[in-house]
Amino acid sequence: MSTKLKIRTSMKNITISITTVLLIIPIVILVGVKLLNDRKYNLISFIIAFLACIPFLARFENRRPQPREILCISVMSALSVAGRLIFVMLPGFKPVTAITAITGIAFGPEAGFLTGALSAIVSNIYYGQGPWTPFQMLSWGILGFIAGVLAKFNLMENKVVLTLYGIFSGILFSLMMDIWFVLSIDGLFTWKRYYIAIIGAIPFTIVYCVSNVVFLLLLSKPIGEKLERIKLKYGLMQD
Amino acid sequence: MIRISALESYHPIVLFVFFASCILFTMFFMHPVYLAISLISSTLLLGKLVGLRKLFKTLLYILPIFILIAISNPIFSHKGVTPLFYINYNPITLESILYGIAMATMIVSIMLWFRCYNLVMTSDKFICLFGNIIPTLALIISITLRLIPKLKDQIKQISNSQRTLGMYIDTGSILERIRSGIRILSILITWALENGIDTADSMKARGYGLKGRTTFSIFKFDKRDGIILGIILLLVSINILGEVYGYSSFYYYPYVKNMDFSVMTITFNLSYFLLLIFPTIIEIKEDLKWRSLISKI
Repeated sequence: MSTKLKIRTSMKNITISITTVLLIIPIVILVGVKLLNDRKYNLISFIIAFLACIPFLARFENRRPQPREILCISVMSALSVAGRLIFVMLPGFKPVTAITAITGIAFGPEAGFLTGALSAIVSNIYYGQGPWTPFQMLSWGILGFIAGVLAKFNLMENKVVLTLYGIFSGILFSLMMDIWFVLSIDGLFTWKRYYIAIIGAIPFTIVYCVSNVVFLLLLSKPIGEKLERIKLKYGLMQD
Repeated sequence: MIRISALESYHPIVLFVFFASCILFTMFFMHPVYLAISLISSTLLLGKLVGLRKLFKTLLYILPIFILIAISNPIFSHKGVTPLFYINYNPITLESILYGIAMATMIVSIMLWFRCYNLVMTSDKFICLFGNIIPTLALIISITLRLIPKLKDQIKQISNSQRTLGMYIDTGSILERIRSGIRILSILITWALENGIDTADSMKARGYGLKGRTTFSIFKFDKRDGIILGIILLLVSINILGEVYGYSSFYYYPYVKNMDFSVMTITFNLSYFLLLIFPTIIEIKEDLKWRSLISKI
């Protein structure tokens, strides 16, 4: 890609991100507060969760990625969905977050976000789409992104950081899903109900955290090495 | 003889516009009449699509959700001006009970609409719909969908060959199961990545990403789709108009708004009902046509 074209696409990406984050999301909130009398939290949050994914997706789309890059992200998302099938006999144990994080570590924050968001869409095509899809896309996407950013500072090689990340991601995912649960009760968000939902979900949160930590500790080295090898062998994702 | 549902023969855009407006309107309108219309039409459509037995099964599983939401609102929320009785000095108000029922109806209707959406909007339609706007992401979704059954087969093959080496994933302690599960995953990943690179190189060799390449789509937007889309959009705009003029607005707190049954209100209610019942009518019409054609053979 020529430098001129590169600058132009990156300008376009920045414009899309800025308009979504600074313009469209506040407008949606404003419309929610003014026109809907501040009552339609569920509808508004559903739209915002979806809009929040757009800057990442638009950036990837405009970059016109190479087939090898496309295939790597597809393979990792398919693995995280299929991974649920391998561990189906252990309820609640899902490798989705761990595989998303490992992809983020090896291939960078953007690939991490895409793998997470894509896993959410595709696994919901199997298990049923619902109003929770944008929330899952955003949660898993952000987790993959964070893992990628941490890896840029060489933090993810540290076992302690990895464990902390696993616990953090389990809690974050659970908190996001609790927001959706509270909103689904009556469209309003109250802190009291949110606390009750969090307390009620503690067993799930623990399972999420434990499974994330277990999978991250067990998988990050072997899979990480495989991804590094593929990267080296085929010269992938070198920007 | 089996016939695929009539809805499935329409262009994905028509179906997507219908379901998107349906689900958004259901989330939006809290008017009891509107909620009732949404619940009834979603139940009818699902019943038409899956048959009575499966519909009852779904309703049986949705009923506890309905009850849970309907009960939890008056317990948590004490707004409203008509206390019926007290629990632990907390008033249980008529308004919060009604609001709980309304909210439960809304959530259950949305679940039913999504059930219908999942049945009608198959993954090929989803990809066709977004193939023009976001070609790369649509391609990625389509590749991922294809990879999953492929990986499933490979998992079976790997676990069978591992079995001959004495690794069993379905027996032993949890730690042993996790260990053999991870071993299979590791083998799978090496295979999947190498295979993926092969596919990518093959795509590149066939000119992926070159100028002038188009995307294949099996769906054609014909006159019939145009007519139906026009009707849907007309009904959608009538309903937005109704909302602008306040015919579909409603409040439950501090006291429940009085229902009004003027001609205008009923007209707008009817237009909403017409919009939501539309696919069911199409299904029934095609059903009758099919039967009469069969009887002529």
